[in-house]
Amino acid sequence: MLTYLARRIGQSLLTVFLTLTTVFLLVRLAPGDPAAAYAGPTATSADLDAVRAKFGLDEPLVNQYGIFLRDLFTGNLGTSYSFHSPAFDVVMSRMPYTITLAVSAIAVTALVAVPLGVWMARRADTKRELGANVLTIAGQSMPDFWTGVMLLTVFAVLLPVLPASGFTSWSGLVLPTVTVAVLQLALVSRLVRREMTTALAAPYTTVARSRGVAERALAWRYGLRNSAVPLLTALGTRFAALLNGVVVVEVVFGWPGVGSLVVRALATRDYPLIQATVLVTATLAILVQLLVDLAYPLLDPRVRLGKAA
Amino acid sequence: MTTTVVPAERPSAVTARDLARATATRQQRSARVKLWAGAVCTALVVLPVALAGLLPLPGANEQDLSRRRLPPLSEGHLFGTDQLGRDLLSRVLHGGQVSLSVGILAVLVSGIIGIAAGSAAGFFGGWIDTLVSRFLEAQLALPLLMMLLLVVALFGPSVTVITCVIAVAQWPEVARLTRSLVLVEREKPYVAAARVLGLRGWTVLVRHVIPNVVRPASLVVLLLLAQAVLLESALSFLGAGPQRPFATWGRIISDGQAYLTTSWWLVTLPGLVIALLVVGVNLLGDALRDRTRRRKGA
Amino acid sequence: MTPTPHSAPSESPPRGPLSRRTLLRWGALGGAGIALGPLAACAGPTGAPGPGTLTLGLNRSLVSLDNKLNQFDAAVTVQRAVRQALTRIGPRMRPELVLADRFEMTEPTAWSVRLRDGVCYSDGSPVTVEDVATALRMYGQVTGSFLLGLFPELPTVEPTGERTFRLRTQHPVPVLDRLMANIHITPAAANRPEELQSGLGSGPYQVVKANSGAGEYTLGRNTRYWGTRPRVDTVRVRFVPEESSRVIALRSGEIDVVDTLTPDSADQLTGLPGVTVAETSGVRMCQLFYNFRKPKGHPLADARVREALTYAIDGEALIRDVLTDSAEEAGGVVPLALEGAVLAGEYTYDPRKAKALLASLGASDLRIKIIWESGEFAADTSVMEAVIDMLQAVGVRASLQQFEPGGDILKWRQGRAGDWDVIGNGYGSPTGQALTVLQGMYGGTAEKDRTGDAFMGYIVPRVERALSAAAMEVDTTRRNEQLAAVQRDIWDTWPSLWAFAPKTLLARRDRVHDLRLLTINSYDLSAVRLEG
Repeated sequence: MLTYLARRIGQSLLTVFLTLTTVFLLVRLAPGDPAAAYAGPTATSADLDAVRAKFGLDEPLVNQYGIFLRDLFTGNLGTSYSFHSPAFDVVMSRMPYTITLAVSAIAVTALVAVPLGVWMARRADTKRELGANVLTIAGQSMPDFWTGVMLLTVFAVLLPVLPASGFTSWSGLVLPTVTVAVLQLALVSRLVRREMTTALAAPYTTVARSRGVAERALAWRYGLRNSAVPLLTALGTRFAALLNGVVVVEVVFGWPGVGSLVVRALATRDYPLIQATVLVTATLAILVQLLVDLAYPLLDPRVRLGKAA
Repeated sequence: MTTTVVPAERPSAVTARDLARATATRQQRSARVKLWAGAVCTALVVLPVALAGLLPLPGANEQDLSRRRLPPLSEGHLFGTDQLGRDLLSRVLHGGQVSLSVGILAVLVSGIIGIAAGSAAGFFGGWIDTLVSRFLEAQLALPLLMMLLLVVALFGPSVTVITCVIAVAQWPEVARLTRSLVLVEREKPYVAAARVLGLRGWTVLVRHVIPNVVRPASLVVLLLLAQAVLLESALSFLGAGPQRPFATWGRIISDGQAYLTTSWWLVTLPGLVIALLVVGVNLLGDALRDRTRRRKGA
Repeated sequence: MTPTPHSAPSESPPRGPLSRRTLLRWGALGGAGIALGPLAACAGPTGAPGPGTLTLGLNRSLVSLDNKLNQFDAAVTVQRAVRQALTRIGPRMRPELVLADRFEMTEPTAWSVRLRDGVCYSDGSPVTVEDVATALRMYGQVTGSFLLGLFPELPTVEPTGERTFRLRTQHPVPVLDRLMANIHITPAAANRPEELQSGLGSGPYQVVKANSGAGEYTLGRNTRYWGTRPRVDTVRVRFVPEESSRVIALRSGEIDVVDTLTPDSADQLTGLPGVTVAETSGVRMCQLFYNFRKPKGHPLADARVREALTYAIDGEALIRDVLTDSAEEAGGVVPLALEGAVLAGEYTYDPRKAKALLASLGASDLRIKIIWESGEFAADTSVMEAVIDMLQAVGVRASLQQFEPGGDILKWRQGRAGDWDVIGNGYGSPTGQALTVLQGMYGGTAEKDRTGDAFMGYIVPRVERALSAAAMEVDTTRRNEQLAAVQRDIWDTWPSLWAFAPKTLLARRDRVHDLRLLTINSYDLSAVRLEG
C-alpha cells in the first residue's frame, strides 16, 4: 500500500513537472510579447526593453528556465504581469469560484444521472428509455457555449429570473451549473445503465431475486453498489477536468474562475500567471484522481491497490 | 401468461407478442431507431453543406448593408441575414464546409496516429508501451482547451494547424482502444502461426494484426467526429479559428452573441445546426456500437 | 459473488464493513466541508443591488485602484473616487482644480501650486507637499508606464511653503495642468514605484472590500472626506467581460451603470423602459492607417493612391449600418472633441472616381492586406469585413489578418514582422489634448524609426518640426493656430484609408441620477445620486 502510494505520488509529481515544462516552453515559443501587453500601445522600443529586463525576459531561454526551476523549488511562482501581485495569490483568489462551480456541477450531474441511469437500466430498451437516451445524447451534443447562450437568452433575457453573469448571489450559480451538467448527463447516466444492466443480469442478482428481494432494492443495493467503482472513476475524472476550468462556460457566464483567468493570461502573455494556473490546476486534478483511486478499496473490497494489472 | 390462439405453424407457447417484447427484439428496435434517427439528422446537415455551392443561395460573403439583421423567412432569406446583411443560411452551410472538413481530417489524422501508437504499444510492449502510456496519462492531466489555445497561438490560426491540434487532442482515445484490442489479438493463434512462418514483428503487426483491429477501432471514429466538430467550434468561439472572412460555425455564433437580445436567430440557428449534426453522428455511432457489441456477445 | 466484503489478508489497513462505512462517511463529510468552505467565502447575500448601492459593470478588470500601470477610460472614474490628483479634466476638456486651489503658470517652465486648505486622507492625515513630490518620483520610476509617455518630462517639486510649491520643468510644458490630473496623490510613506494594491486616498470613497483577482470592489463613503459628502452609500464595481452579459445585466437591473458600450449594445439598450443611454463625442480616433514603410515606387508610397482608395469607402453606410450611428466620421486627423482639433478635411464616397484615379495612377490591380487586433475598436470585425467588400467593389483585392490579443501585432506595426498595407488602430487621448495625440501619431522621426517607434512609419520632417514648435509654444492662441495649420498639412498626406471617432456611450438605470458623462469617458462618482 505504502509503496503503491509512493509510486503514484512520484509519478504524479513527474507528470506535473513535465506539464509545467511543456507550458513554460510553449508560452515562450508562441509569438507575442508580454512587454507589449504590459506597457500598452504607445510604448517605445526602449520602454519595451526596460520591461523585458524587469521581467528577466531578456535572458536566454535556458537561464530563464533555470531561474524558473530555482524559484519553483523555493515556492515562488513569480509576480503576475497584469495583476501586479504574486501569481499564486491571483490563482488562489479565483480558485474558490472554480471549485464551487465544479462541485455543484458534479453534484447535480450525480443527483440526476444516477437515478436516471438506474431507471434506464430497469426499463432497458423501452420506448421511454429510448427517449431519455436520445435526450441525454442531445444534451451532450450541443456545443457548451451555445447551450450557455441559449439558457442566458431564456432565463436572463426573456424571463429575467436569473443573473446573466458573475457570482454575486447563489442564483448566479444555476445557469453555469446546468450548462456543465447537461454536457455530462449522457456520459454518466449511460455508464450507470451499462454497469447496472450487467449487474442485474449477474447470477447473484438472480439468487437474490429468487429469495424475494424487491426489485427496487435489487436495483439500488445490488446493482448500483457494484457499479460504484466505474461510476466514481467517471465522476472523479469529470471533476478533475472541471477543476482545470470550464473555459468556455466561464467565458460565457463571466464566471470569475481559473478558466476565464487562463484566457486572459494568454491574451496578455502573462507567463507567471499561466504557469501558476497550470501548476495549481494540474496538481489538483491529479490529486483528485489519486483520491479516487485510493477510494476504490473502500467502495469495493475486491479491489486491492498495487496489485492491478 | 395469457394464452392466445397459437398459429398452427408455430409450435410454441411463445407468441408473436412475447417476441416483440423480448429484450433482444427491443434492443434491436432501439438500435434501429437510433440508426435511422441518426442517419436522418446527419443527412439533414451534411447533404446541404456538401451541396452548398449548387443550391440557389446568395454568396456567403455577399454583403448588403441595407438588409442587415433581417429575421428568418424574410425576403428570400430562410435563416435571415447577419449584421452585415449576408445570408445566414449560406454562411452556415459554407461555414459547415470548413468545420466539417476540419473535423473529418482531424479524425483521420488522429485515427492514424492513434492506431499506429496504440497497436505498437500493445503489440511490442516494453519501453514503447511505457512511453505511449505515459504520454496518454500526461495528456489527460493537461488543461486541454488551454493547451489547444496555446498551440494555435504558437503556429497561427489556419485550417491546417487547427486540424492538427484537434487530431493531437483526440489521439489518446483511439490509441487506448487500439492498445487494448491488440493486447487480446496478439495472443491469438494466427499471430503465433505468422511468427512461426518467420515473419518479423512489424510485418505481423501491419499485415495481420492491424487489419483485425481497424474495424472495431474505427467505430469510435464517428463519436470522435462529433467531438471534433464541437472542439472546432469552441476554438472558433474563443477566437482561435481560421482567418476571416472564412465563416466557421463557432465564429458565426460568437459574432452573433453581440446581438443576442435583438436578433436571436444569429446564435440560435447555427447552434441548432451544429447540435443536429452532432446528435445525428452520436446516434449513428451509438447504434453501430450497440450492434457490434451484440453480434460479438451472441 | 455478493457485495459482502471478504476479509482480505493484505498490507492495506483493516477494511471491515464498519470501518469502511465510517471512512466513507468521514470522506463524505470532509468532501462537503471542502465544497462548502469556498462557497460560503465567496457568495454575496444578494443579487440585485440594494437601495443604497450603486453597481457598476466594467468590461475590463480593474486590477487595482492605482493608475501607475493600469489606466483605461472607465477605470478613471473609480480610481478617482478613491485617490485624487491636483487637478482633473472637467467638462469641455477644461482643467479643474481638485487637491490644489491654485495652479498657475508663473514662468514658461514653472508653475506655482497651492494645496487646498484642509485636504486630508480618509484616516484624517493631511495631504502634504512631500506627498506630491514623492508621487511624481514614484511615477517616474515605474517601468513601462503608459502615463509616463504622456509627459514630455516629469516636473520636479520645489517647496515654497507649507502648502505651496513650484513645479519646474526643463522646457515649457504648456499643458502641465492637464497632465497633472493623472498623478494620484498617496501618503509619501506608503507610495512605491509600483502599482499600489491598497492604501489611503483623499477621495470621497474608501475601499471596503477588494478582490483584485476577480476585479470586484466595494467602496464605502469616506466619512472624513474634505469636500461635499458623496450621495451614494456604497458603490460596487463588478467586472463583466462579456459585452452581451453587460447588456443583459443592465436590462434586468442587476447592474446600474455600464460604460464604454459598443454601438451594438447601445442599439439594443436604446428605448428600453427603465434604461437611459448617454453619449458624448469620443476622444478616441479609430483609423485604418496606411503603412508608411512602403518602399519608393510602391503604389501606397504615393499620396495620390492613398487618396484614391479613400473614395472607395462608403463612410456614411459604415457609420449608419455597421456602427449604428454611434460614431462620427473623422473630419480631420484627430477627434474633433479634443482641445485644439480642427476640421481639416472630409472623406467622400465616390467609387467611380476611386476606380478612375487608381487606373490613371497605374494601380488598378492593387492588392491590400489589412491587419488588426481583435477588440482594437468597437465592431472591429464588422467594419473590416465591410471594408474589404467595398474595396473589392472598386477592383482592389483585399485580405484580412486578425490578431488575437497578446499576439504579435506590435512586431508587425513596427515593421519587424510580415508585410501589410493598412492597419486598424485605435488611439486614445487621456489628456484631451489634440497636441498629445498629434505628436504620438505624426511626430515620427527617422531616428525614432530605427527602433520601429515612428507610428506606422509615418515620418514627415516638416510635420514633426511644426509639432515640436507647437509643443513649446506657451501662448495658447498662437499654439492653436500652429496646430490648425499642421493638421491640414497632415490631412494632405492622406494617412488613413478611413477614420472615425466612436462616441462615448454609457447606459444607466433610471434610478441613477446626476451622472454627468465627460468627454474623456469618465464621470464624477461623488455627484451621482440614487433614487428610491
